[in-house]
Amino acid sequence: MNLADKEILELNELCNALVEGMLNEAQKARLLHWLAASEEARRFYVRAMGLSASLFGYAGEMQVEAPDATVSLAKIIRVGWLWKLGSLAAAASIALMLWIEWPRQNTISAAVTVDDFVAQLTGSKGCQWVDSNSFVQPGGRLHRGQRIELAKGFAEITFDSGAQIVLQGPASLDVNSAWAATLNRGTLKASIPPEAMGFSISNPTVEVVDLGTEFTMFADAIGVATEVLVLKGEIEAQPNAGADQQPIVLREKESRRFATSGVSAVRDSEEKFAQFTQAVPLDHFIPPTDYMHWSFNEADGGVFKADASGAPFAAADLQLENISPSEFATAHGAGRWGLALQFDGHLFAKAAFPDISENTPHTVAFWVKVPKDANLSTAYAMVAWSMNSKKFGSHPIHIGWNRNPNEGTVGVLRTDYGGGFALGSTPLRDGRWHHISVVLIPGEEDGKTFVEVKQYVDGRLEGEGKPSPPGSEIFSKLSGATSGTVWLGCRLGIDRVRQERFRGQMDELFIADRALEPLEIVQLMRDNQLPQSELAAAKK
Amino acid sequence: MKPDSQNETESWKRLMVLMTRHQRQVFAYIYALVPNRYDAEDLLQETSLVICEKFNEFEDGTDFVAWACQIAYWRIRYSRQKFARSKVVFNQEIVDALAQTASTMTSELDSRHEALGNCLQKLHPRDRELVLTRYEPGSGVEEAARRSGRTLQAAYKALARLRKLLLDCVSDQLARRGVT
Repeated sequence: MNLADKEILELNELCNALVEGMLNEAQKARLLHWLAASEEARRFYVRAMGLSASLFGYAGEMQVEAPDATVSLAKIIRVGWLWKLGSLAAAASIALMLWIEWPRQNTISAAVTVDDFVAQLTGSKGCQWVDSNSFVQPGGRLHRGQRIELAKGFAEITFDSGAQIVLQGPASLDVNSAWAATLNRGTLKASIPPEAMGFSISNPTVEVVDLGTEFTMFADAIGVATEVLVLKGEIEAQPNAGADQQPIVLREKESRRFATSGVSAVRDSEEKFAQFTQAVPLDHFIPPTDYMHWSFNEADGGVFKADASGAPFAAADLQLENISPSEFATAHGAGRWGLALQFDGHLFAKAAFPDISENTPHTVAFWVKVPKDANLSTAYAMVAWSMNSKKFGSHPIHIGWNRNPNEGTVGVLRTDYGGGFALGSTPLRDGRWHHISVVLIPGEEDGKTFVEVKQYVDGRLEGEGKPSPPGSEIFSKLSGATSGTVWLGCRLGIDRVRQERFRGQMDELFIADRALEPLEIVQLMRDNQLPQSELAAAKK
Repeated sequence: MKPDSQNETESWKRLMVLMTRHQRQVFAYIYALVPNRYDAEDLLQETSLVICEKFNEFEDGTDFVAWACQIAYWRIRYSRQKFARSKVVFNQEIVDALAQTASTMTSELDSRHEALGNCLQKLHPRDRELVLTRYEPGSGVEEAARRSGRTLQAAYKALARLRKLLLDCVSDQLARRGVT
């Protein structure tokens, strides 16, 4: 028997109530009656419940940006550690693990961890390291917790926050994070730009919190005393030893000695000020920068011209998509510098860019203005591309704003990548221009990290990458459909552009072929051009 | 590699492929019989364990989904007492009738799942957001209401409307393709 429309409506209502756990006794009786009496009703019921079962699956996939494709044997066996389990009994437990992960089964989980690099050796002069274990190569990145042991000479360390320290040997310094270091012994001079305000240096006798300044510290070899001299600006110093541990604010040309016995004046402070005010000429390790740049200064049309610097990049113009030629004018508006590209929540843009998917460092920088009333459905990527790794496969990278309140403040900058995401802290939905820079450093092909991400908003470090919730470490086979192209204003699946879009304005997009340093990012924000060091310029 | 070990490895590979490929269908079967997400997920886990234990009894070339659903059916029978706390527990007669119907519809449900993906794309982004939030792991109607700025009552109504819309869209797509 076929169900009448009225009966279908009743069954549908009963199924809805059941799915939402709101079935009352009368409804339950009606449902049981239908299921007992009618095969057609049972078929309708199975379809309705099947719809919800499928939606659990799709929602799980969407949440973790999973591919739609069915997993293949080749993908399964890439999870190499499973093969260490020889017996079916052991295999059973592994299979169970995969089963439990439903509905994220159609994905490939790679063991992804985040190598936490937080600083870089950016300059040196006559450096001699204590031993081969403490050797840091010029330009080498420094990880969280790394100890720098300098026997002689000068080493300039630039933290990802933008804080810069020149360490004078003999000295020992622990790199605690992008925002903190410990001076174990020796002398340092710290230069802290406004973007890194709050950077701190500590040791057993004192913790110095920078309030936007330049200062120097000298710690003796046995951790008994530390001298602090403020060259510019001001600091807050918190004594860690002695009877009086009240914080002290020190201003320009002021100094103190912090010892286990207490706080006192610095002897010969004038001579020391004179000594530390002298600039030390260092050799810097800034490689040349090749980049692509779209100014978006075209007043009309569906194409935005690219200008490029350097051999690896061929200029590729951006082409508007999902918009009719008669509507092109709506995509052009006033920008932060000249004109800007306007995303209406429907259009997107793309440009061929073969190098973007390569397993090499990149910095993506641009200005963005997000409307105050931007809603979650237009929160998708401002910039996106597929990044390929021989080890892990391919994964889309998305730079957008956070739409998941469970993972952070809604509206802050968010970068999603394979196995992790980074969240900022500045709300972007304020109708104002913000400068965004995202630095991506791929992991080694034989390492455990897919990519490491640093975000900068208005020149300030906001959000280092952290692991995603389980299930998001998803990779596919290298995809030709989205690789080699930079996509603006849309969301990428593994092998196609999804329907979700971005609403807002974008201006002055730069994509550079290396990890720009924090100070370079600030300079780009201020000058709208990438700085070229003398060394870099000489190489060109 | 020793022959026994090699056989075990091959057997395990086949098991992994089959389980990974078909667990959504098995879940849909279980969910129809035990219409509570978390209970159904528990049963899926228990079923998977039994499948692993009994996989040497599975005959190549036969219907894995039917075999797995049969195991799931017996797990449901075995666990009915455990799920008595659930608001809705079908009596055994209804479970048997539903199991019989559902077992004949696994292929159709597969087609419906695929069509649903297209239908979701046709929804207004705001509606799609609401539906997917409702079904996200760890989420629910309250969360969907909160994120979409609706009252709870409005979210319930909207979800009911959207489910019907999707059900009709899926049926329409299958009818055009000649799938019933």
